[in-house]
Amino acid sequence: MTKDTGRSTGDAQPRRARTSPFLLLAAWLVPGLGHWILGKRRRALLYCGIVVCAFVTGVLADGELGTPRPGEPFSWLATLACLGNGLLYLARLVWVNGASAALAGLPFGVDGGGDPVAVGFAYGNTFLYTGGLMNLLLVLDVSDIARGEKD
Amino acid sequence: MVDHLLLMLWHALLVSLFFAFLWRSSPADRLRMFAKAFLIMTVGSVVVGWLMYVVP
Repeated sequence: MTKDTGRSTGDAQPRRARTSPFLLLAAWLVPGLGHWILGKRRRALLYCGIVVCAFVTGVLADGELGTPRPGEPFSWLATLACLGNGLLYLARLVWVNGASAALAGLPFGVDGGGDPVAVGFAYGNTFLYTGGLMNLLLVLDVSDIARGEKD
Repeated sequence: MVDHLLLMLWHALLVSLFFAFLWRSSPADRLRMFAKAFLIMTVGSVVVGWLMYVVP
């Protein structure tokens, strides 16, 4: 006679594996790399293409990368959004400021590039923010796929 | 010369494609979601633009 504990083994939740932080870091640094590592090659190429296209469009439209500014709390949100682009953001910062100036200028003395009086400035900013936020969503997606919650 | 409409269409294309592949699995579902999202962003933007013109 079996004892009814009210729990059946069929209801047991599978243990969720933890996602490697290096996988998430790779997914952030290079758009699509996380999906590539997980074997989703076509999706990886597509996502990479989309984020890179958004970033490049933003730069070509004279958009400015978000950088922290003293006394402007929303500049931190813009920075977070643009930082989502990963290596693209870091490379652009170095391109605009030079490597040593970019490091020396942290956090408030870094120039984000762009041309505020250009016609496409606001559009360029939008593309830069959108690209970064999309890449951050990709990082979350990689985490879900790695933990088996999504295909 | 910056074409505002072209930039809007390009942005809508990128974002619609992104979410269609992120949130849908089957090709038919992806196509439906892409079309829906793209139309909402493009047609919706034009409609909102006209509403903002009429209602200052």
